[in-house]
Amino acid sequence: MKKQLHDNICEEHLFSSIFNKYAKDLHDFLYYKFGELLNPKDKVQEAFVKLWQNCAKVTPDKAKSFLFTTANNLMLNEVAHQKVVLKYQQTKPKTSTNENPEFLMQESEYMDKLQRALANLTDAQREAFMMNRVEGKRFKEIAKILDISTKAVEKRIYGALEKLRRDIKEL
Amino acid sequence: MMDREFLISKWLNNDLNDQELEAFKALEDYDDLMKLTHSLQAFKADDYDTSKELERTLSAIRSSKKQTSWLKSFMRIAAILVICFGIYHYTTTLDTSVSTTMAQKTTISLPDASSVTLNAKSSIVFNKKSWKHERDIRLEGEAFFKVAKGETFNVITKSGTVTVYGTQFNVKQRKNYFEVICYEGLVGVTHNSQETKLKPGDSFLIIDGKLIAKEKESQPSPSWLHNESTFKSLPYKEVLAEFERQYNVNITTKNIDTKQLFSGSFAHNNLDVALQSITLPLQVTYSKVNNTIILTRE
Repeated sequence: MKKQLHDNICEEHLFSSIFNKYAKDLHDFLYYKFGELLNPKDKVQEAFVKLWQNCAKVTPDKAKSFLFTTANNLMLNEVAHQKVVLKYQQTKPKTSTNENPEFLMQESEYMDKLQRALANLTDAQREAFMMNRVEGKRFKEIAKILDISTKAVEKRIYGALEKLRRDIKEL
Repeated sequence: MMDREFLISKWLNNDLNDQELEAFKALEDYDDLMKLTHSLQAFKADDYDTSKELERTLSAIRSSKKQTSWLKSFMRIAAILVICFGIYHYTTTLDTSVSTTMAQKTTISLPDASSVTLNAKSSIVFNKKSWKHERDIRLEGEAFFKVAKGETFNVITKSGTVTVYGTQFNVKQRKNYFEVICYEGLVGVTHNSQETKLKPGDSFLIIDGKLIAKEKESQPSPSWLHNESTFKSLPYKEVLAEFERQYNVNITTKNIDTKQLFSGSFAHNNLDVALQSITLPLQVTYSKVNNTIILTRE
């Protein structure tokens, strides 16, 4: 059995290294699951402040699940759950103007459909799918973040993809 | 032909080898998947600047820590002050009470130069804090007062209030019995909202609600202060009641009219001599059983 080097994280350098390791993943997880309206950045901060306050009780190997559980609960406390609509950046008009207005309209229609389709995914599907497709994470990494099996991640992502494509066609 | 789901899954996990990639590109929905993947990039989460956020979080921790510790210690000090003040306020505004039991006398100095001597089975209650501007004493039983000059001095009893203006006087309030004797100065007695002023030697006596006239008191202080109870034409039952209080005994009578008047005295320090002094003049005999004394008229 591996012996723990530190049994708590009450030292600032230890705390900082945990922050560097998990903060971005935690933020992305919250963002894709709950959208940006509930301030995922602030929730990340709040979760880490709570971690610091409980630093004597949380061992480094428990820190990740503590953070994700705490942040998730903070979000859930804030509002009754509603559909999460993710915002998207308007694609900049290209310098070459060989795209006709009809094409541009189709393009914007497609984005709206995609947005609605994403909102129709379950939280579990959306968080896994977006971490894979947008953040470029592999199944194994996502499995570690979400504390589920790689097979389950694959199922969620594949399911999400199929559902998205079905919805886009139907909408 | 490779399985479509297998290929897409491998593609999703960025796991396709060259051969599989070719097969994947040959899929009829390849273009759709590419367009979807491309479009999804527009939904990317806001940038997260880890080092900036770490700094923000650490400063939040520092300020919250500072604030709570500062607030905590402040609250502690405040709580201690509140408790101390509370105790001080409570104890200083608390009424002081002194009482005597059977066969006991005591002298109490009041906050000014005044003093009170309590006879047996009596009690007084007064307030040290408000003494300066309100010299009020509640009395049950009998007490002798030496009052220093100053604000009006009130002795409040169930039967009436005695107001004093620097003097010496005795108040006796017992069951159906209220007596005030002024020894020096001037005393006002309010009974049934009527005030009577007493000059030295004057006394005010009410037995069973009736005002009894008494001759001038010639002693400079009440006899009980010198361990003797003196009675002048007072009902025999008052004498017996006083006797019971001084010796902590029970007295029962047989064939005796306790309303008859008695003049005389008894000492507080010798039970047998005292018993003789209250029985001989009335030709009464007595017998003692433990704490009970039986008086019989022959």
